[in-house]
Amino acid sequence: MKDQNIPFEGAIRWGYAFNQWKLGWQGFARLEDNIRALKITSAGGFRCIELTAGTGPWDPLGRPESIAQHFGSVLRFAAQLEDWGIARIPGVFFDPGQLSFEEGHFGLCATARADHALIRQQAGVHARFVAEVGGEYLLIQPFPPYWREGELTASALNAVGDLINAIAQDNQSLGLDTFIHLDALSSLRTAQQIEALLGQCPSPAIGLAFDTAELTIAGHDVVALYRRVHRRVRHFHFKDALAVDTLEEYRLPNAERALILAGGRREIPRWFGELGTGLVDFKSLLGAMHELDYRGWVIVESDRGPQPVASSILLNSWYVQHVLRPLHSRSNPATP
Amino acid sequence: MSNAERRLRFAYMDHWRIDGPQGYVSQYSSARLLDSFLKQIAALGFEGIETFDFHLGVLTDLFGSLSAARDFMQERGIERVVSLFHAVMYRNGVSQAHDRSTHEALFDHAHHIVRSAAGLGVENLIVMPAGQYYDVEPVTDERIRACAELWSRVGRMTLDYGIKTCCHHEFYCGIHHAEQIRKFYEWSDPRHVFWYCDTAQHVIAGVDPVDLYLKLHERCGGFHLKDTHHVDRLEDYRQRPESEVTAKTTPRWFWEMGTPEGLVDFPALFAAMKEYGYAGWVGVEHDKADIGGGNYPASTAIAAWYIRAVLQKIYC
Repeated sequence: MKDQNIPFEGAIRWGYAFNQWKLGWQGFARLEDNIRALKITSAGGFRCIELTAGTGPWDPLGRPESIAQHFGSVLRFAAQLEDWGIARIPGVFFDPGQLSFEEGHFGLCATARADHALIRQQAGVHARFVAEVGGEYLLIQPFPPYWREGELTASALNAVGDLINAIAQDNQSLGLDTFIHLDALSSLRTAQQIEALLGQCPSPAIGLAFDTAELTIAGHDVVALYRRVHRRVRHFHFKDALAVDTLEEYRLPNAERALILAGGRREIPRWFGELGTGLVDFKSLLGAMHELDYRGWVIVESDRGPQPVASSILLNSWYVQHVLRPLHSRSNPATP
Repeated sequence: MSNAERRLRFAYMDHWRIDGPQGYVSQYSSARLLDSFLKQIAALGFEGIETFDFHLGVLTDLFGSLSAARDFMQERGIERVVSLFHAVMYRNGVSQAHDRSTHEALFDHAHHIVRSAAGLGVENLIVMPAGQYYDVEPVTDERIRACAELWSRVGRMTLDYGIKTCCHHEFYCGIHHAEQIRKFYEWSDPRHVFWYCDTAQHVIAGVDPVDLYLKLHERCGGFHLKDTHHVDRLEDYRQRPESEVTAKTTPRWFWEMGTPEGLVDFPALFAAMKEYGYAGWVGVEHDKADIGGGNYPASTAIAAWYIRAVLQKIYC
């Protein structure tokens, strides 16, 4: 087979997310389906996988306890990755706002200091897993959605900043970095707020995870925003956005359902698309990343869509190999 | 090993369907769908496709000419249409390879196809060399000789166009038992008739494709690498109207490489290919992968994973 030029070493390290496979609570619960998904992602040329923190008995790769149950131990799981064509697991995405059977909650809130101890405990479970498999980071989505939190107050921002600093300190003791992810519904909405948060979290071990589609849907010009905050960007999620939330419907009650799933008043049929099919100017963004000497992970995502998941991965793979990588090679020929 | 050093290049035999707003449709329904299909195949590392001769018309319809269609493919990383599967409509009294009175029509049809294919870079015309078993039986030596005569004549003609005629033995083909295959290749012209090794079809028919490759390697024009979980032990090859689709025992015969239940010994085949220095295109197929809820992109990716993880370590 022809070589695939999607490196996972060098200045820009490419990987793929795993969140797109889980459809419904009890879907994608069989181990063989998870292994098949790893092989499919590897066949697409992506040899590093960012796992998603999960819960319950239906998510074989969602927690270290589940992995140990299926494989005997986390280390035995890590030792088998290469058999499936996977070189590394660089990190795990963790959203404390999601329910957890194991920690016994229906979703925690990082702006409430009373929840911090449990969030930190839960983050530690996933961070220790990342460290054990030789990964590099814990990716955390700390902010509650706007519809639940309302305008973010200074004290709420302070509370989240304190939590991130504490988790980052825990993670550093494991040799891990901590990256902050924002989604389109986040209560943290403006560039000024992003800068304020990063100002409260000055450690070089803390960085911003820059999700191209989520930030575009939230109304940002992602190239301009990246140029503004680039010194603190340590991680990317690359996916395309097919529409912008121009009606500010992130304010709707239950916006995860009312806006993202139902499409809001305009009934947007699909928010996220394969790379190159929507509103994100990836060529300009990549140009800015090279100009500003970005070094780190770019994790490609497929996030909800009508196509088979494999199809979405392969289309993104083609775009990386045939559109983005040639640009990358010209501007930085020394990079593998 | 670099791309230039490799002796094998991989092509995808394009069974594929897309479930979209217009229903479950072929990738040849629009340039947009073909674009999506080609990108997915190219992303996996395939460099060619194989298709059916009945897609020639729609390619011209979509792109104005076959050379423009090939340009479209090349812009997406697919070099050529390596092979055309010549879908002969075998009918008793009208077109049957074992019936010499119909040879002229069959020859003319094949001639029309190869003339019509100019511009795509086609290297192989793949054909099932006899009709369905129930139409051909009793499969006498005389009937096998008639088939050998026809395809020798067609093969001589297609080589004038730079195209090899390759015979592909479905498990329900009139020529599918080991002894029938031996006779067919003994009686057909080795200069003009080549063997296309469809691994799953041979295993279903109870024929070991590795053993067959060892015997016919000099005649081998290419491969359809696909797997099966079943051997036809109950003469499903006689099932009307078509054993591949309507056999009562087995709703799905074909699987992608890389499933635990697969019966084809692909590592042994690749070891044999290495021993005899096979060089050129290798086709990958998983016909009807959507039966039972599967989908083509996932099956194709698993086959590609298997090639990289297992087969290329043996020979590439």
